[in-house]
Amino acid sequence: MKISVNTEIALTYLSARKKQTIIAAMGVMFGISMFIFMQSLMKGTNDYFEKQSFNTTPHIRLYSENKVADNHIMVTFLKDPSYKLLTNPKQLIQTQGIINPYGVIHEIVKNPQVYAVTPQVTANVIYTSGSVQLTGNIAGVSIIEEDRMFDMQSNMLNGDFHDLDRVNNGILIGKGIADKLSLHTGDNITVTSGTGSPTIMKVIGIYATTVKQIDETKSYANIIQVQNLLGKDRSYVTDIKINLRDYNNAPQVAREIETLTGYKAEDWVQANEQLKAAFKIRAVILNSVIGVILLVAGFGIYNILNMTIYEKIKEIAILKAIGFSGRSVISIFLQQAVYIGLMGGFVGIVIGFSITYMVSRIYIGAGTLKYLPMSFYVPHYIEAVCFGVLTTLAAGYFPAKKASRVDPVKIIRG
Amino acid sequence: MDNILALKASGINKDFHDPVTFPVLKNISFEVKKGEFISIVGKSGCGKSTLLYILSTMDTDYQGELFINEKKATGLSLNELAAIRNASIGFVFQFHYLLPDFTCLKNVMIPALRLGKLSYKEVEDKAYEKLKMLGVEDQALKRADKLSGGQQQRIAIARALINDPAIIMGDEPTGNLDSKNSKIVFDMFQELAHNFGQTIITVTHDEDFAHKSDRIIEMSDGAIIKG
Repeated sequence: MKISVNTEIALTYLSARKKQTIIAAMGVMFGISMFIFMQSLMKGTNDYFEKQSFNTTPHIRLYSENKVADNHIMVTFLKDPSYKLLTNPKQLIQTQGIINPYGVIHEIVKNPQVYAVTPQVTANVIYTSGSVQLTGNIAGVSIIEEDRMFDMQSNMLNGDFHDLDRVNNGILIGKGIADKLSLHTGDNITVTSGTGSPTIMKVIGIYATTVKQIDETKSYANIIQVQNLLGKDRSYVTDIKINLRDYNNAPQVAREIETLTGYKAEDWVQANEQLKAAFKIRAVILNSVIGVILLVAGFGIYNILNMTIYEKIKEIAILKAIGFSGRSVISIFLQQAVYIGLMGGFVGIVIGFSITYMVSRIYIGAGTLKYLPMSFYVPHYIEAVCFGVLTTLAAGYFPAKKASRVDPVKIIRG
Repeated sequence: MDNILALKASGINKDFHDPVTFPVLKNISFEVKKGEFISIVGKSGCGKSTLLYILSTMDTDYQGELFINEKKATGLSLNELAAIRNASIGFVFQFHYLLPDFTCLKNVMIPALRLGKLSYKEVEDKAYEKLKMLGVEDQALKRADKLSGGQQQRIAIARALINDPAIIMGDEPTGNLDSKNSKIVFDMFQELAHNFGQTIITVTHDEDFAHKSDRIIEMSDGAIIKG
């Protein structure tokens, strides 16, 4: 392999001053390893919270929204907007839920983006155990589907959620409810809905999410049981939960389904706006920290190259006297910067990975979160090296430019 | 030898502006034939070094015209001038000005590697050949800053010769050497001029050195008074 004379000179200068080279490279290394660590932590956390939110929220929730009656259908029919409709300004309760839910589901499943669809009946209820009462809500679900969509298994504290399909009047309650009413698996609980009669149900299991409010209010039962509880028939469904193959498409698919069915389709982005805001804030904080680190590393390189140029000014003059052009001199010093950047970059990748790995083994043990969520995402590493090299190029350019402007006559004649 | 002009200066003027405008070179015109060995002499401050740096193309701040190998060098870009210096001009300074981080061999090789006409191996062989000619081939693999002054100057001359330049310029090349080393350098220059047709232009204070060369250009107060 033939290396150019510029490269050879750059490498000789770097190896002649090993200590300085290593210190400059270390600056880059810290920048890059912090970059990788922070990005991994941020993505890991974001992914965790996103996944966590999907533990309780479907990608899209289809439900019948209470509406104030309006006159748009009448106007469309009569083609004369001067007709006025007198309506009750209060919202109407859509007691029937989603009409023909299984027909709707049949239509939704045709969308190729859709991965899973499950009907649900939700109702506000009062839990009673002994003399203590607690308000909350119950979700009537097909527990197998629910597990497929929300990974119920990972939240189970004790009991087996499959019992919802086996035990008559079985109920799966949150840890908060269990604590407040001092219930254990196998105990009985009275559940009263607004419209039906009180029903005694049997606790078949206890679950815990990371969201306290859910653990203290929400319980699960078989969909038929909840329909019974409310005194409704088998076609009574309040929500249809839809999961997609790629949740990033949720907003767009939600609009399609809304147009198709005429019901309100709420995607997870709308349901979790605070989550999105938190992502953005975290991104701003971490990116500014990374920016500062890389800036400091850049100044380190700038400083060291600047010093090199002061020290080597005679040699630069000689190089120019023996026929090196300004461009060659820039190339010599810019190459030094790039090699420092690459060295720091590759060591930084290794260190960044090690830190990320070690931190991912730190035990946290909060709720279902056992270890710090870290992501090992290859593009972060590529980005880190690109940023590192860009920083060093920027930091090296100005000293190199200065070196190229050295006037050999002035320096040699003194 | 031949009647080819290695270098021609016509009407070169240069002023220094600091602290007051002061003419340092006044209408300098002369020609140098290929293979001539010229010494430029004169008192300190007469402008002889200034002239040499203009002739070497490093100093571009002057009026008048400069031709090297019958090609006009005045008005070319800095990069073009660097290429001319690399290929056609070898420079020997009063101080050796070697690159201390490199071996002597590398120091000699660098201008040829820059020129890029020969392979690495050929450049290396040629560098050895030049070092041998100057009797310092046994120092080839030492770092340049580990040598004595006389040895360093000889390495620097080898570096100036590596690209077989048409013109070799010396700014008091023997100024820092004892008489023995001065003689070696002088004989070297004379051989290059007479046997290899290379043109030598040196600025010197050394009377002996000047008198032994082919032609003396004497300067005083920025003008040529003899030669």
